[in-house]
Amino acid sequence: MFRSRRQSETLTRAGLYAAYALIIIFFLFPIYWVLSMSLKTVPQLFATPPVWFPIPPQFSNYAYVFSETPILRYLLNSAIIVVLTVFFALLISTLAAYGFSRFTFRYKKPSLLAVLVFQMISPVVISIPLYRLFESLNLLNNYASVVLVYVAVVLPFTTWFLKGYFDTIPYEVDEAAIVDGATRLQVLGRILLPVCAPGIATAAILAAVLSWSQFVIPFILVDNRNLFPVSVGLVNLQSSTETITLHYLSAASIVAITPVIAIFVLLQRYIVSALTSGALKG
Amino acid sequence: MSVKAARRRWIEALAGSPLPWLLPLALVLAFTFIYPIIEIIRLSFTNAGLTGGNYSYTARSYRLLFGSPYFSDMIKATVIFVFFSVIFQMLLGFVIALLVDQGAKRGMRASIVTRTAVLSAWAIPGVIIGIIWNILYQESAAGVLNYLLHALGFGSVPFLSDPGAALASVTVANIWRGTAFSMILLYAGIQTLPGDVLEAAKVDGASAWQRLTRVMLPLLAPIILINLVIVSIDTFNTFDMVLALTGGGPGRSTEVVALSIYDLIFQQFHLGQGAATAVLLLAINAIMTAIYLRLERTEEIT
Repeated sequence: MFRSRRQSETLTRAGLYAAYALIIIFFLFPIYWVLSMSLKTVPQLFATPPVWFPIPPQFSNYAYVFSETPILRYLLNSAIIVVLTVFFALLISTLAAYGFSRFTFRYKKPSLLAVLVFQMISPVVISIPLYRLFESLNLLNNYASVVLVYVAVVLPFTTWFLKGYFDTIPYEVDEAAIVDGATRLQVLGRILLPVCAPGIATAAILAAVLSWSQFVIPFILVDNRNLFPVSVGLVNLQSSTETITLHYLSAASIVAITPVIAIFVLLQRYIVSALTSGALKG
Repeated sequence: MSVKAARRRWIEALAGSPLPWLLPLALVLAFTFIYPIIEIIRLSFTNAGLTGGNYSYTARSYRLLFGSPYFSDMIKATVIFVFFSVIFQMLLGFVIALLVDQGAKRGMRASIVTRTAVLSAWAIPGVIIGIIWNILYQESAAGVLNYLLHALGFGSVPFLSDPGAALASVTVANIWRGTAFSMILLYAGIQTLPGDVLEAAKVDGASAWQRLTRVMLPLLAPIILINLVIVSIDTFNTFDMVLALTGGGPGRSTEVVALSIYDLIFQQFHLGQGAATAVLLLAINAIMTAIYLRLERTEEIT
């Protein structure tokens, strides 16, 4: 029996669609379920069979979460920490990436690898000595110390990524400008940065997503509730949640993940290419 | 020569050196990584408390740690968690990467939707993944997974209250979370495969399975190994997701190594033993990193 090429192609496509459906259900069902929980009334939480699409959706759950829990405070705290982290991480890693890209020096390769190695270290391990140090210096519950650690955690990635980006621009461009009397800082600011804007934007997005998700560092270095970022705030909220208030916890979770999911869905093409280039280069 | 000129020359010499460019990076990394690493190793050999006070040097923490039944429980939980997470993340990631690649080559939009769905799971902060799965695993009437099992004719599973089931539950949630990373990496690897080699194998009559196992997998071997090492490191370091999902319980059945460090230090106030456990995790990180660097180097030569 011969199947025609066209027939077999149709079968392949049908198979692919079926596989995609399964994959999408597996990965989106948990998110969908929590979204649906967040819009339920209390009796609906425990209904059997479950209420798949709560009608009418209880948007009042969100109003409750915003007014009765400090989630807005947490979101604002996260935003402050993320913005500061991205700013300083990009500043430091742009300089370093320029150094690694534009100079040749002894031990360059080992120092680049050393930067990468720090990415492998568990934040739990470094947070403990830092807790003792900051405690003795009275720097716990202090955004300056927290942001410093956040910056350090994203630096290896941003440095490597930007170095790779700078490498794609020929050194002759710099040389021409330097011959014309520009300083290296001017070369970086006026020539390289504008050309590398897309790369810097991608690095900023990834640094932001990484810092938004960061948990261990603020969990250990911050114990003042007013300063919690959203990740720590939610765990705190979870510990005071009963089964009967699951809809509120669900709503708070949805609020916390909306910014990152939105960024990922809108900018996934850039993110995917950044991740793969970073991962493939090392 | 005036002081001004001397200073100018000095500045020029510096501008020609990479040092000022790299210094901020070096300082931040030294302070946040090198200092704590030295400090945690030192602390693991003391009887110090969490917040200062006098202490003396001793290896007692290691003796207590290795002798305690908690230690073997922690190792068991960690090994099971890491082993199954890594295997299934990579397997699932590879299968999805292949399927997405096939669809993308046919111009199917659904392949992009699929990729986005997998990625969005990965974008969610770890603690919230823990909370989400905790809601799914609820053992009251609010638990949807048990409802689905019932609907399919199975009995209910004590997802979070039975030690063995809880470890499996945590592992499944972690597979859900981490598959995206392997998928992206392996998808990128598949894109670098020489199309003519695959085509030639097809022309020579190799079946799809033969092309996969005899042509693709050997070509992808380096990237699969690198993927394996990175995913293993990440999984050993897992903390936030497990903390929010089970808190290490029931009992200590899901207390993986990073959680155990936190528990020993901040709940039981055994700084020494916690530090010793941290040194163990650090050693695991170091070994995996060494393997990774080794792979990177051979990768470059070939």
